Amino acid sequence: MGASGEAVNLVDTVVSRLVELGGKPATFKGMVSVTVGRERLVEAIKLAKGAGFEMISDIFGIDYLTYPGHQGERFTVAYNLYSVSENERLFVRVDLDEHTTLPTITHLWSGANFMEREVFDMFGVVFEGHPDLRKLITPEDLDGSPHRKDFPLGETPTLFNEGRFLDPAAFRAGLTGKDEGLTGWKGGARKGVKRDG
Amino acid sequence: MTVKERETAVRVAEHAGSEFETKYMRINVGPQHPSTHGVLRLVVDLDGERIAGIKPQIGYLHTGFEKTMENRTYQQGVTYSNRMDYLHGFGHDLAYVLSVEKLLDAKVPIRAEQIRVILNELNRIASHLVFFGTGILDMGALTLFFYTMREREKILDLFEMVSGVRMNYGYFRVGGLSKDLPEEFVPAARAFCNEFPRMLEQYATMFVKNDIFVNRTKGIGVISKEQALDYGLTGPSLRASGVPLDFRKAQPYSGYENYDFDVPTSEVGDAFVRFMMRFEEMSESLKIVVQVLDQLEEGPVKDPDRRISLPPRSELETSMEAVIFHFKLVTEGFHPPRGEVYVPTESARGELGYYLVSDGGSMPYRVKVRVPSLMNLQSLEPACIGGLFADMVVNIASMDPVMGDVDK
Repeated sequence: MGASGEAVNLVDTVVSRLVELGGKPATFKGMVSVTVGRERLVEAIKLAKGAGFEMISDIFGIDYLTYPGHQGERFTVAYNLYSVSENERLFVRVDLDEHTTLPTITHLWSGANFMEREVFDMFGVVFEGHPDLRKLITPEDLDGSPHRKDFPLGETPTLFNEGRFLDPAAFRAGLTGKDEGLTGWKGGARKGVKRDG
Repeated sequence: MTVKERETAVRVAEHAGSEFETKYMRINVGPQHPSTHGVLRLVVDLDGERIAGIKPQIGYLHTGFEKTMENRTYQQGVTYSNRMDYLHGFGHDLAYVLSVEKLLDAKVPIRAEQIRVILNELNRIASHLVFFGTGILDMGALTLFFYTMREREKILDLFEMVSGVRMNYGYFRVGGLSKDLPEEFVPAARAFCNEFPRMLEQYATMFVKNDIFVNRTKGIGVISKEQALDYGLTGPSLRASGVPLDFRKAQPYSGYENYDFDVPTSEVGDAFVRFMMRFEEMSESLKIVVQVLDQLEEGPVKDPDRRISLPPRSELETSMEAVIFHFKLVTEGFHPPRGEVYVPTESARGELGYYLVSDGGSMPYRVKVRVPSLMNLQSLEPACIGGLFADMVVNIASMDPVMGDVDK
């Protein structure tokens, strides 16, 4: 994205060095991304930071479970790096499956704290070494990771831990007062199906 | 080790093992809105009157917009985007449509881009007005709130003219706008632009020349440049810490490169400067609005591509082809090519961008919003720690978090 006349811009420099680490570069509509291996992740991001990407803009996950024709591992976690001085952006991506953890980068940027917690919350990706890895947005007792593609949506019960769940139809009944209700409306907060008769 | 820390260490050592052994007092603030920022809860560790640790607990306004947008067509996404940051809705709308347009390579007519800029900048002013009103309300001054709300009301009237509603506009469309401006908009907007500088002077009297305000904010919650970059702070708060990053200048979108405006920057980094950055931004935004109103071109406000924009209503009665396109767009929507895009924009709070993943279907496969308020909220840590508990509210106010923007 740098000025076209420049011989070498920051993104190209960093990308070529990440390729040496085994990264696979890709470009789409001017956006440059490099997919690196999990074990080289911290090294790669440290390298990018040292080279001039001084800000972490975002960390987010993508679940490719239902992506048509997708091959390879299920999740991608992408690190959105931005260089303020050079005005360039680089996405560092890492692929992983359900049972793989990622190393934290909170020691490189304090701001990565909330970002990694959000990915943990939404995708269930565990960041090893994170100082305070708790859910960020969803309630503590919500079971599952809402942004996974197999998380139920709409007229399906919302699952909580210990087998409790929230049934939409019963929830509405609870609101209209026609039924005792299974939810917080009548004090039976999130009691699930344990209803008599 | 500061004097304060040494005193604490001595005190802790004296009572170690006894029933008085305490180091920090942990207190809970909220969850309720400190003013009108939304529902924010903070867990604060106090060492006497000083803050030793602060942890925001968020999620009370989580609505699952991202997931909902993944199950709606691209055009329907406009309904959700502006509901996240309800104070700067046009900013979210703009960021969203820009990402989809990049995916589609849509050609947005100049007039549509200009109108988007006018509304976005007016909305930025309205958002900053709420920030000022509630910010100074946090400090216990009620009067200014009424003044800023008075002007915000006039801006909301303008928005009501174009979109029919005062919040959650849904006026932008992928490829342009839902309809052209009404005739009375331009004169009304000009009248506002003529009147507003005088109002800014009034605010300046109440802020900058107000001893109470200055003493409450100067030197409070200083964030250094390094800390700001470390925490991913963006927007006016980052510029207050000496980094002149504004995506309207850095990576211009929607024609911002055609307008002449400055990016206020300061090296100080305290709460007072964070207030002042926004204050100066209001007059810069006004400058942009006046320029666009002068240059406003006539012409269409939608991409003429029938695969993206709905055909004009009049054609539906005479053209079968128009009916087919209309039907296809309304029932199914368009299918952008596969790919992943991200367009950074500058909202009233900082870097805002929609990361969209398209699988070639009519609904986005993944929507990830890079919201500025979430990252800005983390910066409460460097701003508050070591400071007085009473200054915490000043710091929250000066960061301008909107909890809808934080929780999504």
